[in-house]
Amino acid sequence: MPLNKRILTGDVISNREVAEGHFLMAVKLPFAFETPLPGQFIMLRIKGKSEPFLGRPLSVYAFQRRREKVICEVLYRVVGKGTQQFSLLKFGSTVEVLGPLGRSFTIFPSEKDVILIAGGMGIAPMTYVAGHYRGSKAGSKMKMICYTGARSMDDLVALERMEVLCKTKVSTDDGSRGYHGMVTDLFKNDFPTLNIKKTVIYACGPRPMLKALAAILEDQPVICEVSLEERMACGVGVCLGCVTAIKDDRGNKQYKRVCKEGPVFNIKDIMWD
Amino acid sequence: MVHLRDIKTDVKIGSLTLRNPVMPASGTFGYGEEFAEYVDYNLLGAIVVKGLSLEPRAGNPPPRIIETASGMLNAIGMENIGVQAFIKDKLPFLRQFRCAVIANIYGETVEEYCKVAEVLSGAEGVHALEVNISCPNVEKGGVAFGTDPAMVHEVTGKVKSSTNLPVIVKLSPNVTDITGIAVSAQDAGADAISLINTMTGMSVDIISRTSNLANLTGGLSGPAIKPIALRMVWEVYNKVNIPVIGIGGITTPEDAVEFMIAGASAVQIGTANLINPLATMDVLEGILTYLEVQDIADLRDLVGSLKLERPEE
Repeated sequence: MPLNKRILTGDVISNREVAEGHFLMAVKLPFAFETPLPGQFIMLRIKGKSEPFLGRPLSVYAFQRRREKVICEVLYRVVGKGTQQFSLLKFGSTVEVLGPLGRSFTIFPSEKDVILIAGGMGIAPMTYVAGHYRGSKAGSKMKMICYTGARSMDDLVALERMEVLCKTKVSTDDGSRGYHGMVTDLFKNDFPTLNIKKTVIYACGPRPMLKALAAILEDQPVICEVSLEERMACGVGVCLGCVTAIKDDRGNKQYKRVCKEGPVFNIKDIMWD
Repeated sequence: MVHLRDIKTDVKIGSLTLRNPVMPASGTFGYGEEFAEYVDYNLLGAIVVKGLSLEPRAGNPPPRIIETASGMLNAIGMENIGVQAFIKDKLPFLRQFRCAVIANIYGETVEEYCKVAEVLSGAEGVHALEVNISCPNVEKGGVAFGTDPAMVHEVTGKVKSSTNLPVIVKLSPNVTDITGIAVSAQDAGADAISLINTMTGMSVDIISRTSNLANLTGGLSGPAIKPIALRMVWEVYNKVNIPVIGIGGITTPEDAVEFMIAGASAVQIGTANLINPLATMDVLEGILTYLEVQDIADLRDLVGSLKLERPEE
């Protein structure tokens, strides 16, 4: 067994508030950091701190490797003590990074229409998926649409990058921008027009949003993979803290680790209640 | 001046000799495979695997964990693949390493503890058992056995007669007098005592006014419980004559050395593994450096060396 994994130390090279309470952090990492696959995440921790004690799982939003320079970007909203501490990090702050971790989205080599559905910070992994497709030969020509929703206009972040990558449709819960309502309803309106056998859907967002999506797609022969969010302690599968209920082959409930068997699951396998 | 390579670090637990005093705590290292790309298991004193019951257990519903000040609460609920699947699917992998394999065992009844012990005793590659009578997150078994000296005596004695492997009894801190429990385990034939398991705790979401754990309560671990663990190790060390394995918030080599001075012959690293998969290695390296710098040729000279009188200023 090769001993090739360890925690890497990175330097924060920018940590910018892109919308109120929303931050985009770029971390410069050693060359040894593997290139993340779409849907994978990192465990990020402030070096030398016992408060917050645990790392926080964050999806990879963007990644670049140019010669010796490796930069991983994450997008986060301040929701608790951990992300609040992240928001105070300055240029040059030292962070510990474990990863990339978890099961990635299935990437299809060709001939698919790609639908991305993002709720809130779910835009982060969706952007990385879009970028991954656009960076490949087949994906550069694929038809791709992103549906992205947030509570209000002020919470819609990272739209610019997504708009460069693909056609982007917007919804807000309060109607301050785009479609007035849930992003899943916006998608539902378009659903009858899709060639579903040729379509692959990727989604990430709050659990109620994904549950609503599951209801729309029920009994439909369409491939849909979703990335789940869950509190984690280790991120590597040992603590069993991040489990979610999944249907096994016989339809029985089984707990699977979001960090290891996920965070990406087939939407049809998830048990919502 | 002692040289690093001459320092004696072996630890005896019953008939088992560990090469050094550092091992992971059960439940923070999976079944062993999970950290194999991070840690050279040949360098560990032992691996302690996730608690095993006779049948597979699904565990508690999520959410199962929540961070707290300098630590975390967990209520996993003894999710595990069961002892048979462990022997068939996980143990072969562990046999390739030099370190001892300690199986943590759990039962809802005394009979189940004994049955699990029997099954593991017949498996090649298990070197000791750690009896978990201290899990706070299950309805039956676990801590229910660990808070009553008479029950501790019964479980320990019966497990001992079900196996020829060394038996370590893992104690709960959720008791009034830890020493009474420890003495009961020793009297019933335990080869070593490990302590502490987690302390029962709670965390509330003030917006939804619900517990942050589906199980309502959970077990507190991490640096937050270290001073309590250290005090309990010291108390138990003074009452028993079998080895004490210190557990509770050990994150740095300095933490581990504190436990040894207080009487721990060996240490388990738990929650620290969750923030640093290499925590066991860092602690081991640091202990060796400490022994070298302090010119201590044998780890045993450090164990229980707490001085009760303060030097004159």
